[in-house]
Amino acid sequence: MKGLWKYISPFAPDDSGAAAVLYGLNGIVVICDAGGCAGNICGFDEPRWFSGKKSAVFSAGLRDMDAILGRDDRLVDKLCQAAETIDADFAAIVGTPVPSVIGTDYKALKHMAEKKLSIPVVTVDTTGMDYYDKGIEKAYDALFPVLADSSQQAEADTVGVLGAVPLELMHPGDIEWISQSLVEDGWQQILLFDEIDDYRKAGKASLNLVLSPAGLKAAQYLQKTFGTPYELHYFGLDAVVDFDDNLFSGKNVLIIHQAVAASAMAAMAEEAGAAYVTTASWFMGLPEPQGTDCVRLREEDDLRRLADNDQFDIILGDAYFRRALPNFHGQYVDFPHFAVSGRG
Amino acid sequence: MTERKPYAITVQDLVTRGRDDIPAELVTSTHLIYNSPAALAFNSPGAQGFGVKRAGLSIPGSVMLLVGPGCCGRNTTILSEMGGYSDRFFFYIMDETDIVTGRHLKKIPQAVCEVVDSLAEKPSVVMICMTCVDALLGTDMERVCRKAEKEAGLPVVPCYMYALTREGRKPPMVDVRRAIYSLLEKQPRRRRTVNLLGYFAPLQDDCELYDILRGVGFNQINEISRCPDFAAYKAMSQANVNIILNPEARLAAQDMEKRLGIPSIELTRLYQVAQIHKQYQALAQVLGTTIDDSAWHERAQAVVRAVREKCSGTTVAIGEMQNGNAFEMALALTRYGFVIREIYANLGPDDFVYLRHLAQLSPDTQVYSNLSPSMLYYRGQDHPVDVTIGKDAAYYHEQAAHLSWDEDIQPFGYAGVISLLQRLEQALLERKHP
Repeated sequence: MKGLWKYISPFAPDDSGAAAVLYGLNGIVVICDAGGCAGNICGFDEPRWFSGKKSAVFSAGLRDMDAILGRDDRLVDKLCQAAETIDADFAAIVGTPVPSVIGTDYKALKHMAEKKLSIPVVTVDTTGMDYYDKGIEKAYDALFPVLADSSQQAEADTVGVLGAVPLELMHPGDIEWISQSLVEDGWQQILLFDEIDDYRKAGKASLNLVLSPAGLKAAQYLQKTFGTPYELHYFGLDAVVDFDDNLFSGKNVLIIHQAVAASAMAAMAEEAGAAYVTTASWFMGLPEPQGTDCVRLREEDDLRRLADNDQFDIILGDAYFRRALPNFHGQYVDFPHFAVSGRG
Repeated sequence: MTERKPYAITVQDLVTRGRDDIPAELVTSTHLIYNSPAALAFNSPGAQGFGVKRAGLSIPGSVMLLVGPGCCGRNTTILSEMGGYSDRFFFYIMDETDIVTGRHLKKIPQAVCEVVDSLAEKPSVVMICMTCVDALLGTDMERVCRKAEKEAGLPVVPCYMYALTREGRKPPMVDVRRAIYSLLEKQPRRRRTVNLLGYFAPLQDDCELYDILRGVGFNQINEISRCPDFAAYKAMSQANVNIILNPEARLAAQDMEKRLGIPSIELTRLYQVAQIHKQYQALAQVLGTTIDDSAWHERAQAVVRAVREKCSGTTVAIGEMQNGNAFEMALALTRYGFVIREIYANLGPDDFVYLRHLAQLSPDTQVYSNLSPSMLYYRGQDHPVDVTIGKDAAYYHEQAAHLSWDEDIQPFGYAGVISLLQRLEQALLERKHP
């Protein structure tokens, strides 16, 4: 049945994706909700929260009468009050289902807030109904035009990485060794866009690595603005296949992940002698075909129709999908995706 | 740059201002709500402990269908991983078309049927968990549930995870307590049966309340979390009296009084031994009997004396992510010789009953709100303490000894005091000799 999910819990939503991009940028981030959405971001989708690094993320604390009467002015007042207490470089308002249902005018909200504040204000019209990747895309879309310094020139030793947020990765800690491996590759300066200065210096990158489809639009914007080329790149796949050379040989393989990760793994499987490789994803696709069969999943039933049988010899996907496939008897390899299972 | 620091006020100053003049910095509706691990209990009660989702599954054999946007079901992954929940949560994920057209309401009965059909064992009840979206749409969920009930052939009960109504007349955690008892039907009452209402997990096994109730003639003591099956749950409607152990269960008790004719008595969780004794005497009066609690009372007093000797002067920070009222606990521990440096808690007018006494004994204790934006600037190292109580307090004071005191099993009465003091002592000892 469309909409009914019996085995898999919901994936990280777009508001979590937006908050992940905004995390640690020294902005005042207001989740425009009653509390639960902000709580989910904090308690589940943002592992950096528990690392001790603080970030000014707040809930708007909306109550029924705020929503019914559309009291945006109260939200702006609360934001201004917080801005008096906190030194921030910008303010961001992130949408959730409540403003989506009452039809909040984010442009008006931005203008109202900008009139009263002396810092830039960005709004991200997430709805809590899309997946996290849409929120990442929207947050980049809001930030780069406001923060990127157009006078920056490309430097040969500088690389940018778009999509390097915990939700896109296998494990939150992967961010650290992405930096490390890029240093080993000879890059001197790495822009992970997890600090506000990285946005200001975005034009310095001589290459942008795009870790997920959510980073593509930003990469295209930076190409258009600064002429920076970009390429798709995912990190750390060797750890998944555990360096087993025979894992894929002659096998019919299904890979379930976000599209950049899945297609990178597919390339690896093909190189290792897989007979046939299919990728599948609920998340954003890539504009150009990647050489393998790409299945767009929309419902839980789509996965069950595709893989709850013995059509594939081996499936690589987050361990959390396994319980939706009781009739698959082949080999299941855990290919973690933080936005799916939130495993640290 | 101006010096940035968290907002705090002493207990003395709070009492001087009075219960009608609580500073705006401590009133959640007047400011943005800081979202930090210390604020999880407020923003996402379900992420740890019992929120609406887990609470709604208290009825034995129940399953839950959450109807809402994906973001509302997100942290359910954690719950599913907790023992026993992975096969009990199902989701109808709403999209924008559902919101615009309300078509999800027509699909709920079918979804309930599909969920029931997918299970090897028929559930006792399907709880439908609704979110802020349906609150705004004004959905008549009772009607939808009646239709689903007819089609699926089993009880279907709505429970409302409406965070928007948190400060209203029926906040989500109050209404879910009403919802879980709503399936009880009128039966002949049994004189010697009593229900304990308020928690979703049982009281600690060694709690004297069980013996006291048996002592005054109750031979059947019901708690929803100890009901082995649906029949045992249904038998709760035979109770002669409900004892409310958490104020959030008052609405449920009122509903049960109205529908089932069961009256209620309220007991408060206290950590002051003398007050616990007074409360039991008051309970005896209400029941028209006598309660001899002297053995437990003396044991608790002995533990207090021993701890006072060993721990007097120990500095403490108390949060609200723990099983107790932070202000009452602060008052109790001050009376036992501890020095309460700081309290992090949501303050309400009712807390002044404790604050007035605390102001006399420990006027300089500082009160913070976990939810104040200024807590971004709180630095535990500027205010060191020996031990913290509550996960939020532990978050602020990494270096201190920690007692999380937030387990599902509920401390209560003298047994609660004894456990608290013993665990505090143990936490301090472990810190000294790791």
